[in-house]
Amino acid sequence: MQRLRPFVRLVTSLVPVVLAVALIGCAKKAVETPPEQTPAPPQQTTPPPAPVQTTPTPTPPSPPAFSAADLQPVFFDLDSSTLRDDARAALDADAKLLRENGSVHIVIEGHCDERGTVEYNQALGERRAQAAKDYLVQAGIPESRMQTISYGKERPFDVGHDEAAWAKNRRAHFALQ
Amino acid sequence: MSFRAIGLVMFGVLTLAVPARRPASADDVRVDISSGQGRRIRIHCEAMTSSSHGRGGPSSVDADEVLASDLDHSAVFTVSRSWVANEQPFDVQAFVGGKWNVSGSQVQLTGQVLDFPARRPILVRDYRGPANQWRALVHRFADDVVQQFTGELGVSETRIAFVARQGRDKELYVMDVDGAGITQLTHDHSIALSPAFSPEGSLLLFTTYRGGTGPQIDVVSSQGGKEYLVSGRKGNNTSASYAPDGRDIACTLSIDGNPEIYLLDARGGSPRRLTNNRAIDTSPAWSPTGREIAFTSDRSGSPQVYVMDRDGGNVRRLSYDVSYTDSPAWSPRGDRIAFVSRTGSGFDIYVCRADGSGARLVVGGASNENPRWSPDGRHLVFASNREGAYALYVTDLDDRPPRRLETGGKEAMSPAWSPRPAGTRAMTNSTP
Repeated sequence: MQRLRPFVRLVTSLVPVVLAVALIGCAKKAVETPPEQTPAPPQQTTPPPAPVQTTPTPTPPSPPAFSAADLQPVFFDLDSSTLRDDARAALDADAKLLRENGSVHIVIEGHCDERGTVEYNQALGERRAQAAKDYLVQAGIPESRMQTISYGKERPFDVGHDEAAWAKNRRAHFALQ
Repeated sequence: MSFRAIGLVMFGVLTLAVPARRPASADDVRVDISSGQGRRIRIHCEAMTSSSHGRGGPSSVDADEVLASDLDHSAVFTVSRSWVANEQPFDVQAFVGGKWNVSGSQVQLTGQVLDFPARRPILVRDYRGPANQWRALVHRFADDVVQQFTGELGVSETRIAFVARQGRDKELYVMDVDGAGITQLTHDHSIALSPAFSPEGSLLLFTTYRGGTGPQIDVVSSQGGKEYLVSGRKGNNTSASYAPDGRDIACTLSIDGNPEIYLLDARGGSPRRLTNNRAIDTSPAWSPTGREIAFTSDRSGSPQVYVMDRDGGNVRRLSYDVSYTDSPAWSPRGDRIAFVSRTGSGFDIYVCRADGSGARLVVGGASNENPRWSPDGRHLVFASNREGAYALYVTDLDDRPPRRLETGGKEAMSPAWSPRPAGTRAMTNSTP
């Protein structure tokens, strides 16, 4: 440090000069800056936060933002991760939407009804999410746009304890990443 | 008490800090009881006396009831109480009682067991510790009484880990087996599941969604503290448990695209795949020797429990007597396996021999899930909705109905039973 001092002093003494030269054409006030003024502290190099925009930007009428709710969930039979015909139809529609919205990245959640054990349902939910993902990959959606997550029986659609509730809970459904 | 009688009594002093090993004595009374199946021994609890020279000791009424409950819940004794009017000593084998001596912040319990009807001492032992830990002293005495009559310590000093529902979330908790000292271990506002104690009880492995990208395996001190990630690989990281030697972790991962059972080292590294099947393989449960692992697979079309060697070889189906089975748990002596079998809308709990034979229903009605053995193999803890909301219950595997564990009024599931506390004493004369 001791040996660097003269160099640092030289640089700091030059900075106002450089600044003055740089600013000379911009503003007269800047030129009048007294030379003994200390060089700008480093934090001044970061631009100040942009002023908060108070007037709303006039957005052109755009198509409504893509929502995960536009993607149809897929339902499964008890203890099964096999895609039924209705599931394939739903996934075909989902694939079309995903092709049209090429920037959308999704999470495929696998879920189960409450009738399996916690641990088995975590595995089954994973298989359901994976089955949906595999189908979408076959339909041309890049794998890089999709993640899977299994919630087992921890996040039911319907907290009821009958077949109507269970049928809704055996599902793969979609969220945005 | 004659001098001869005193001479026969072995005095042992146990403190909280100093481990003590008690030599076997020729005077120990032994009654052969096969775990959980034998007739209970009738024992009469007498109110303990106390001489107080300090503050913070137990109310003797509380301590009496803790001792009586411990003994009653041991599955070894049927307890009558001297402080309950209509419970008189009749056909009992022994009296149990003692005295408290509170001195400053320290407390000493002198516990004693006397024979019936002569009131000769069978067991007299001193327990010392901080006054605010008097419950632990009572538990230790209760466990010694169990050992006196069966040859194996009781489990009053163990703990139960579980998860409790909080809105949409589940957090991890631990408490004494009698429901005291309930402690919340996680505050993640996420889903915690499937806790499992390390072999010496100091750590808990569990599944958590706190990372946000899927179920991961974490570890936390069973006394509380920071959670550490053990496995957060792509896909599922679930169902983790330590091998009996603590060196490996068995768990379910789906890194290869399908839920399979893996071994990890104790820090979660170097995965070794044990199952290789297009079906679901999950819920690994170690045999107490660590040489075999029971697990669930739906390779035959529906979930069934299988057993394999720890290298993944020699796979055989556990039982053909019961359909749709899951959640295996190997008994501490290795002779039995508990599991669940699906009914219409829930699960019954069965116990069979380790070779799959002799399956018998031990808990039915409503749904009964995640059975886990006590370290003495006399009890199973499980989660059940038999009274509405999910709660924890213990069955003593005999004709008594399951008893509910207090969990601070919280909806509770996914129990795990701790081993006996390490370091406070050595286990002696375990029954083979």
